[in-house]
Amino acid sequence: MSRAASQRALLVERSALIVVVAIFLAPVAWLISTAYKPARDIFSIPPSFLFTPTLANFRGVFHYFDLFSLLESSLVISLGTTALSLLIGVPAGYALARARTKWAIGIAYFFLAVRTVPAVATLLPFYMMMRDIGLLGTWWAVILLSTSLNASFVVWMMFSYFRSLPKELEEAALTDGCTLFGGFCRVALPLVKPGMVASALLCIMFSWNDFLYSSFLTRSGSKPISVALLTAYGTKDITWGTLGALAHFSTIPIVLLALVLNRYFVQGLTRGAH
Amino acid sequence: MAFLVSRVTARPLIRPFGPPSPARGEGVRFGRRSYLDTSTKPSLPYRRRRQLFLILLGAPALIYVLAVAVWPLAQGVDNSFYDYSLLRPTKTAFIGLDNYRALWINEEARRSIVVSAIFTFSAVAVEFGLGLGLALLLWRDSLFQRVCLALLLIPVTVTPVVVGLVFRALLASDYGMLGYYISAWGLSHPRGWLGDPTTALPTLVAVDAWQWAPFMALILLAGLKSLPTDILEAAEADGATSFQRFRLIILPMLLPAIFLALVLRTMDAFRVFDIVFATTNGGPADATNVLMIYAVKQGLEFFNIGFAAAIANVMIICIAIFSFLFIALIRRADKRANEL
Repeated sequence: MSRAASQRALLVERSALIVVVAIFLAPVAWLISTAYKPARDIFSIPPSFLFTPTLANFRGVFHYFDLFSLLESSLVISLGTTALSLLIGVPAGYALARARTKWAIGIAYFFLAVRTVPAVATLLPFYMMMRDIGLLGTWWAVILLSTSLNASFVVWMMFSYFRSLPKELEEAALTDGCTLFGGFCRVALPLVKPGMVASALLCIMFSWNDFLYSSFLTRSGSKPISVALLTAYGTKDITWGTLGALAHFSTIPIVLLALVLNRYFVQGLTRGAH
Repeated sequence: MAFLVSRVTARPLIRPFGPPSPARGEGVRFGRRSYLDTSTKPSLPYRRRRQLFLILLGAPALIYVLAVAVWPLAQGVDNSFYDYSLLRPTKTAFIGLDNYRALWINEEARRSIVVSAIFTFSAVAVEFGLGLGLALLLWRDSLFQRVCLALLLIPVTVTPVVVGLVFRALLASDYGMLGYYISAWGLSHPRGWLGDPTTALPTLVAVDAWQWAPFMALILLAGLKSLPTDILEAAEADGATSFQRFRLIILPMLLPAIFLALVLRTMDAFRVFDIVFATTNGGPADATNVLMIYAVKQGLEFFNIGFAAAIANVMIICIAIFSFLFIALIRRADKRANEL
């Protein structure tokens, strides 16, 4: 290919990408912009693209919603789930990667299979279990159930990270007088930090964005922001501007996390898949 | 690592004469106990201790998942054999496979299976087409491409319920920014794309594709980047056109990644709930009543626990069949790609 032709190909490729990115980001941009539009500009007919920005919608959020309680619920549920999932998932991933039995790979596949089960299958019996032991409507119910899925994900992911780590490193530490637990904590763990960051990031994303579990396992006082968004929709006092402003708090934290920690996010999505 | 280094350098470089002495910290060590150290008997041989240690690390997760995921699943299987409704819990009766039979006989249930199948198949097909195109566009390794990938992955992170609400507002025929033009140009029914039974399902497929095609692209891109560049360069040097290179080299070698991407998205699309719940909630006229929506409605709105459990179990069986099929395909494609 001549230089001019390859230059042209590059230009075509780049402009195609720019168009595609613009299309994929347009709905998000619309969502963000609605929050700053005055009510009459959001759904003016025909639709208008120009508006004078206002913060009135954010005042609406504080007026109609107990924002701090919603954010607190979302945070407690997602951080609780993530902490618990990593706490039990990372050691299990290590154990499966280092075990010498044939069973190990089978158990790893078992964890993978648990992740693919549709949420409703466990939700119904779990709902009744929680009702019987009186945890229904608390954060614990959601944390316990979503940890079972997220921990399985963490096990599978960390299994793949630990497996690609040469075991000679830990063996060297053991001959130097390190305990088995020390070999895990002080040699293996620091080397899979990227894997742990990636798993944590995806766990936070899954549990923060979760709707099904929270909507049936929490009550009005313990519901997270994703549930509040949908129940508020269609309530006649709440305008789209207010909803858009509220959606800021649900979407932007995760989008920012994924952009700031993009390397880990991409790594997690591709590694978690294998 | 720092710990390792300090242990090594702390030792004297020139060893003193004489046999290794435990007092100087010498001798072969496994764990904390030296084999030369006979003052206390070793409680367990090293292999045993290691095994026990690994079991201790692995057990909490296994027990947890058995208790919180597998136990409810087993209960679900049990429930599915009963005519069990929370509205009349005293009239629970064992009915064998009747709940499963109802899934075939009941018009609504059969329709739901068909809707789920159509949604899953078309969503995965659309996402695959878009994803492959995007992956090829993103293949070049440059800052520009990396920034584009990061931006393209934003839809994946947006709360699915919010995605549903956004498209509901955008597509509303009277006031939505897209819906207004669609209906003004006569392209939709007065109720809009989401309000009309013929267009609601394709619209949901498009919404799902908007959110998940970038993920498909990412998996395929990872596959593309792991292709051996020497083969591709050799083909180019031999004068293969870019289409020939794609069809004869890239596609066969990419097959494992393609099947992986397909299986992941098939399982997720089959379980779709949030965006459907937030946009149409199964309507209009059951046109988008996918199995998850149907099961949740039966279980948590009408409290037909037995029937809902049967739907969920059929879903699990379907997912198991998909995954075994795809795993077999991935294995075969892997073997072929290695032969290439």
